[in-house]
Amino acid sequence: MNAHLESDMRAMNKPFSTRALAGLIITASLISGQAFAATPAGTLVIGKAADPQTLDPAITIDNNDWTVTYPAYQRLIRYKVENGKGSTQVEGDLAKSWKSSADGLTWEFKLKKGNKFDDGKNVTADAVKYSFERMVKAAQGPSEAFPSDMVIEVVDPETVRFRLQKPFAPFLYTLANNGASIVNPAVVEKQGAGYLAKATAGSGPFRLSNWQKGQSLTLEPNPYYAGPKPSLKQVVVKIIADPSSRRLQLENGDLDIAEELPEDQLASLGKKPGVSVAAFPSLRVTYLYLNNRKGPMSDVNMRRAVSYATDYNGIIKGVLKGNAKQMRGAIPEGMWGFDAKAMQYNMNMNKSKQLIDSATSKGGTLNFVYSTKDPNWEPIAISTQAALGALGVKVKLENLANATMRDRVGKGDYDIAIGNWSPDFADPYMFMNYWFDSEKEGLPGNRSYYKNPAVDKLVREAASMTDQKKRTELYQKAQQMAINDAGYVFLFQKNYQVGMSNKVKGFAFNPMLESVFNVDAIKKL
Amino acid sequence: MNVSTEHPIASIEEVKSQRSKRIGYFFYRVRKSPLTLLGASIILFMLCVMLFAPWLATHDPNAIDLMKRLQPPSAAHWFGTDEVGRDIYSRVVFGSQQSISVGFFVVGVAGVVGTLVGCFSGSVGGRIDGLIMRLTDTILSVPSLVLTMALAAALGASLFNAMLAITLVRIPYYVRLARGQALGIREMGYVKAARTFGASRWHIVRWHIVRNALPPVVVQATLDIGGTILVAAALGFIGLGAQQPTAEWGTMVATGRNYILDHWWYSLFPGLAILITSTSFNLFGDGIRDILDPKQRGK
Amino acid sequence: MSALQLIRKRLLGLLVVVLGVSVITFTVSHLIPGDPARLIAGEKATEEIVQNIRVQLGLDQPLHIQYFSYLKNLLSGDLGTSIRTTQPVLDDLAAFFPATLELAIVALLFASVVGIPLGVLSAVYKDKPLDHFVRLISVTGISTPAFWLGLGVILVFYGKLGMLPGGGRIGEGLAPQLNATGFYLIDTLLEGNFSGFISALKHIALPAFTLGFVHLGVVARQIRSSMLEQLQEDYIRTAKASGASKWSIIFKQALPNALIPSVTVIGLALGDLLYGAVLTETVFAWPGMGAYVVNSIQALDFPAVMGFAIVVSFAYVIVNLIVDLVYMLIDPRISGVN
Repeated sequence: MNAHLESDMRAMNKPFSTRALAGLIITASLISGQAFAATPAGTLVIGKAADPQTLDPAITIDNNDWTVTYPAYQRLIRYKVENGKGSTQVEGDLAKSWKSSADGLTWEFKLKKGNKFDDGKNVTADAVKYSFERMVKAAQGPSEAFPSDMVIEVVDPETVRFRLQKPFAPFLYTLANNGASIVNPAVVEKQGAGYLAKATAGSGPFRLSNWQKGQSLTLEPNPYYAGPKPSLKQVVVKIIADPSSRRLQLENGDLDIAEELPEDQLASLGKKPGVSVAAFPSLRVTYLYLNNRKGPMSDVNMRRAVSYATDYNGIIKGVLKGNAKQMRGAIPEGMWGFDAKAMQYNMNMNKSKQLIDSATSKGGTLNFVYSTKDPNWEPIAISTQAALGALGVKVKLENLANATMRDRVGKGDYDIAIGNWSPDFADPYMFMNYWFDSEKEGLPGNRSYYKNPAVDKLVREAASMTDQKKRTELYQKAQQMAINDAGYVFLFQKNYQVGMSNKVKGFAFNPMLESVFNVDAIKKL
Repeated sequence: MNVSTEHPIASIEEVKSQRSKRIGYFFYRVRKSPLTLLGASIILFMLCVMLFAPWLATHDPNAIDLMKRLQPPSAAHWFGTDEVGRDIYSRVVFGSQQSISVGFFVVGVAGVVGTLVGCFSGSVGGRIDGLIMRLTDTILSVPSLVLTMALAAALGASLFNAMLAITLVRIPYYVRLARGQALGIREMGYVKAARTFGASRWHIVRWHIVRNALPPVVVQATLDIGGTILVAAALGFIGLGAQQPTAEWGTMVATGRNYILDHWWYSLFPGLAILITSTSFNLFGDGIRDILDPKQRGK
Repeated sequence: MSALQLIRKRLLGLLVVVLGVSVITFTVSHLIPGDPARLIAGEKATEEIVQNIRVQLGLDQPLHIQYFSYLKNLLSGDLGTSIRTTQPVLDDLAAFFPATLELAIVALLFASVVGIPLGVLSAVYKDKPLDHFVRLISVTGISTPAFWLGLGVILVFYGKLGMLPGGGRIGEGLAPQLNATGFYLIDTLLEGNFSGFISALKHIALPAFTLGFVHLGVVARQIRSSMLEQLQEDYIRTAKASGASKWSIIFKQALPNALIPSVTVIGLALGDLLYGAVLTETVFAWPGMGAYVVNSIQALDFPAVMGFAIVVSFAYVIVNLIVDLVYMLIDPRISGVN
């Protein structure tokens, strides 16, 4: 591109071109010394791709919004940070202690003393009840993780009780979700329902002080925060849609953290001085949905054929530059219940060819729907198309807007589709029940429309008990069957990578909370 | 703008000799204008590339190799390779088929439909004309790129739907242009004469109005091809164009954008292809307009 | 036609335009497959939750009822609530519109300052190499994919040379507190925030160049052709005969007259620039309406897309009107414009 531009610039600089342009360039170069002002100490600047949509914890289900909301609120429970690393175990945040009844139906939480909202008011059991009821009543995305028939009672100002109608094993973990944030009832009542969409009113370490739409959001410390005083004086979230611009700004010191950089950018960013690429094992997986309900993919032989025709090695080594590993069934490594001995399909074109020949429905074109939301999806789709094409199976690729793709998947109007999945809470339930339970078919989780009564029975049983060992056993058994049925193509589990200035210290990544930064503990030199 | 105004009533011989003179003069002017000639030769070159793509390409444009991704230009891959290891040179060569045919299709269909509707509207006049023009003006007042984007999204992402969306949005321009011409011609002596001799309305529309509205439409169409290629590229850029694995320049620039900092060649070559093709059509159209524009020719 | 008549006619036409634009955008945006309620609810949401959101947003109503309630609100100046941001569309657009307008005006200024002299030279040296060269530049401008040029200038001026910022509207903490015009270049000066002004100027330079370069050709072409006409006029010959110098005739007499018909074209270019900014803004992270509308289309945010279309068409008609009024003012010979 350089050559082209330089020739344009040369053309423009001919004598008859105006002084204005020359003047502009001269002025710019005179003051260019200021272009590289590094971000001030004590201010953390995070670059991300898009403005938050809404900041209301009862409405948002988007990690992109949580960057701002998560540090602005507290929840009863939080994920532990052990030795500077995020863990899947939990501890009390607002809660001092809790106990549950033997049947798992009643949960009682004692609140810590001294937690205050950013207007100085105490965080009480009433506020907890108010927040949960508000969220359930809104009946939007976040409420999906909670039983809608749960009853919340205020025992005393420091004790709150949840009553469930049926046992729900992962309940405790869901309380660390963004949707379980405790909001300040006084502010909501006073400012009205829409207020929390554009402002924060919580008891977390930071609060939103300014939002320039499409440009930046500024967070400042909450003066009443009861926990340790954060070292950062200010957190700025800058909105920069283009990934190349984000990377350049990070390299030039205009950003401290750059999110959502494509693989190849990260590879070269790692070589620049002053910045590094932090990689963390995550629970995010990429997989193909195969339409079990109708069309050619309803034939198990065709599904196995696609599983064998997938170039796992090429995708992981080539497209992902080795920053991923092939999945073993649905439960990823790092989540309890992971089965290190589960069967993997590997690329085997002969086997795939045999399976295709033995399939009942032959001929016809398969469609593969994807979007460019994740830049890795298209190369994977192209590779699938090429591999199946070599076996005589035509694949038509359809690159759709993300919204349209969801619609197609939700209606079961596809043969093959691709998606990413990351758990909202640390329980294999997020994979096994969501992906395989025929009751969750469609977008909510079972996007392959996979149906196997034996698997249904096993995963439902596992969800209703609390014994982790027994649950692991049931889940692994169900998983084996599902792998054999080739319900999905289990592609890979990828590291979470983020570009970061070397001045930033103390970032702890939590696999359940992608895009959330622990700004209360991060320091900047 | 209108070429035949000077001789309202002419014998067939006169018309013929005039036409041949006109054509001769046309070529004389093209030769005199180096930029028009440049545009024409690039167009010719691009058409050759388009026709002989299978022989000019060095690789199968769709052959992937995940282990040879994003390689810089070399003797084996003149323009380097893309994110799945395809040969960018071969894809740029084959991409000409998409981009240029989009240009011709859109301009052809929008031009023909628009001219017919415009001539019809202009010659019938009255309430129908009012209705058509009101509709045209309304469509014209919607931001065209946004309308095209929304329409393409509504139809579903494919090259054909992108073409259709651009065509639908372009039609009103031609309607307005042709109607303006038709209105002018309707009052010309020779049309009036034909009418008094009892020629049917359709005959008049077909023979006199359409034929005479044609030159400005052709000029506009030539100028539009370049613009259409750009719009198609823009749609490809936001993911509403050709689908993989088809090579299309706008889509290539868009994908290359993700790799631009370290792999500049990916966006550069298809971008240059868009720029050069679009420039050549615009140079040619510009030149033709100058030549056919009687205001300047007369002086 | 008097100025008043013209204004009355145009404002009446405006009503028709707004009605038409709303019908067209409503129809087209509802043709896009996908469900905005599903997008808000999140992928994992159950059908029950999605249905509930549909009801909250009124998306469960039949389309014609949705349209008429939209229209009713529109007539009282309410553009509806954005599905994506849950804020009134008017508020969203008000936050983004000044940025787009500022960019469009600066780009137009750049295109005119460079394009007018180029057009004059081209006309004076008609059919000479200089004319060909200028035409080549202007045609190249028109033929350049703006998004591609934008990527290139960011790469060179920010990435390689580090001379200019690579995105955004102003440096950190320099945004003007004053919101008199919404234009950072003016507001910073008004509050005496000079470093803010410099920063805003640096931030607008690359996007305005990119956008302006594309329209430079439009301006140069227009000036060239009206200059050519003027140079044929009798008064120029008279002036030549009276011995006035060539350049003084060109700049003092021909150019002012050539500018009059060009006002329309250049003014209309502002309308084009407003929505031409869509892709440029995306590339430069310019916080304007263009980036907002691209995101809205992708999120099936109908009210936002319609609001954008209506506001831009509105602006287009107003710009047109102003152009015609200016035209009447500077050229009293013309009594009516139609």
